[in-house]
Amino acid sequence: MYIRPIQRTDLDSLCLMAKHSGVGVTSLPDNRQKMEAKLDQALASFDKTLPLSDRVYLFALVDETSTELAGICALESSIGHGDVWYNYHVGKSVHASREINVHKVTQTLYLSNDLTGCSEIATLFLMPEYRNNQNGQLLSRSRYLFLADFRELFGEDIIAEMRGYSDADGNSPFWESLGRHFFQMEFSDADYLTGLGNKVFIAELMPKFPIHVPMLTEAAQAVIGKVHPQTEPALAMLKSEGFEFNHYIDIFDGGPSVGAKIKNVRAVRESKVYRVGLSDQAPAPDLSAKQGLMMVSNRQLADYRVLLVDQGAAGDDTLWLNPAQATILNVSEGDTVRAVSLRPKELSV
Amino acid sequence: MLVVRPSTFSDLTGIERLLNDTDARVTTLPKERDKLSEKISESDDGFRVGIDGDGPTSFLFVLQDTDDNQVYGTSGIDSEAGYGYPFFNYRLDEVVHASHHLNISSKIPVLFLSHELTGRTLLRSFAIDPALKKSDGFDLLSRARLMYMAANPDRFHQEVIVEIQGIFDEKGACPFWDAVGRKFFDMDFLTADYYCSMKSKTFMSELIPQHPVYVPLLPPEASATISQNHPAANRTCQLLYREGFHKSKFIDPFDGGPVLKAQLRNTHTIGNIRFKKARPSDVVGGMKYLISNQSNQDFRCVIGTLVDGIGDSIRIPLDVADALNIQAGDDIAYSPL
Repeated sequence: MYIRPIQRTDLDSLCLMAKHSGVGVTSLPDNRQKMEAKLDQALASFDKTLPLSDRVYLFALVDETSTELAGICALESSIGHGDVWYNYHVGKSVHASREINVHKVTQTLYLSNDLTGCSEIATLFLMPEYRNNQNGQLLSRSRYLFLADFRELFGEDIIAEMRGYSDADGNSPFWESLGRHFFQMEFSDADYLTGLGNKVFIAELMPKFPIHVPMLTEAAQAVIGKVHPQTEPALAMLKSEGFEFNHYIDIFDGGPSVGAKIKNVRAVRESKVYRVGLSDQAPAPDLSAKQGLMMVSNRQLADYRVLLVDQGAAGDDTLWLNPAQATILNVSEGDTVRAVSLRPKELSV
Repeated sequence: MLVVRPSTFSDLTGIERLLNDTDARVTTLPKERDKLSEKISESDDGFRVGIDGDGPTSFLFVLQDTDDNQVYGTSGIDSEAGYGYPFFNYRLDEVVHASHHLNISSKIPVLFLSHELTGRTLLRSFAIDPALKKSDGFDLLSRARLMYMAANPDRFHQEVIVEIQGIFDEKGACPFWDAVGRKFFDMDFLTADYYCSMKSKTFMSELIPQHPVYVPLLPPEASATISQNHPAANRTCQLLYREGFHKSKFIDPFDGGPVLKAQLRNTHTIGNIRFKKARPSDVVGGMKYLISNQSNQDFRCVIGTLVDGIGDSIRIPLDVADALNIQAGDDIAYSPL
């Protein structure tokens, strides 16, 4: 399994994944035209024919033994330029009087565009049959190597928006308590429209004044900044890389935004550039083991590759690859690669 | 005979008794003796200061029966609502959320904190003995304030407002408070109400959240009480509507009760008022009128019968002249009951 940039021929697979992803994965609308536009944007991004702030990098996880895509993931260089980026900032308000012994701290939601200009860890989707053998880890974390390899293409800060809580029937308590009153539509419909990039309606319909959190239903208050149960592993992964809740939430489902300085992201900070050495004796990675694996990138933008290798392959300055690995990575002896341990050493997430 | 006059310290026990008997909450009149006597003192100063006296003034009147000298009611005027501080209300407004593309357009009611009514003349502190609730005494006690304003017009704003008590039950549960204020104070309505009477409404209002409140986010039982008056205030509302008051866009920030508004000159009382010289006489009969003297400090207002006519003087019954403390040739004002 390896990571490469998305290709024109991936469109059918992309549409298949959009169908699979369902409500909540806003960035993958089940709409072929929209997916094709996304594909075009990604291809132009890798081609460097788009302005920096418009670039979105889509990567595919590829099974070398078949032609199918196992999963996709994306990086946005700078959010909020074409479409306006909305969040609620979760602020504190204190209602206090010494005289009558009141000191009450409450939360207030402020509609904001504060995250405009941040880079974003965007879409990730892995086909169900590939949810094993570190595929999810590789797909998600490979993006940090890309950030480290091409720092100049991204901003200082990076965020990830996490899918918010909704119940088994797809009902979002946050939406029911807030958005519904203003949008007069189902959560899934609002979600779909956002995914299509039709964000003007948000500006038109969204409440502009701050929202007093205590006036929301208790069920809604309870899910502010909470992720969907299925998103817990993704959140844990981001946290292990140094991402933290930044007090911004999604305006529809209340899901948290987490953020970090790119330079402080664990995989960016710890990654190291090695010289490639070719050897038939390079140890094979044990993909069933959680520890002992490294991600290696070839540092080539247009023909980007990331692969998992055994950490025993890394010497002081040289990373030993067997010929098959070198072929996948499209590197030869003497080229440079970037590598970092797949998981943080101190954590076994 | 029932007479409305400025309150004095000798009314203290009478007012206390009255407040314990009335079913309506009167936030502006505390039951604590110290606070109550402070109010009377404030009012006393207000009546003493000449019309040149600047600054806000608070006037407290009592309804007294000259037969037994008992106090049967109170009513008051603040010359400037807020008394020099911001006077808080929620203003019920609407914002339109529309998307042409999605064919959605809706008017969303929103409550905005507002100081707009600061400085308007405020009628307040109305309390009447339940036994007199259905009598002319009710009208007298309420409208005597307008008669006082007519006698001292320079001291008051042309726009007159009244805060009407909102909906709460006998246990003190107030749906509007529970949905709004309580979320930020952690105290029940009666406690908050107590603080309002003891401290000041301004002080409490400063603790209220400053951002607008989207009405659809409130529970239906709370939004249903917005601008609705307590049943105990029905009689008051009827009287004020007859006077020409109407519900404004403003509501009480605590219980959601309506704020009624009128232009002083458009009220029934002021619109029909006449000023003439008094001619005390034995004559009886005619129609019922509110009749007041034109004094500041010794203001009096009663209900009596008159036969209105042309000329710049009018005959008034002797007992009325007596109750108004006037002599022949003194100025009086009268307005149909």
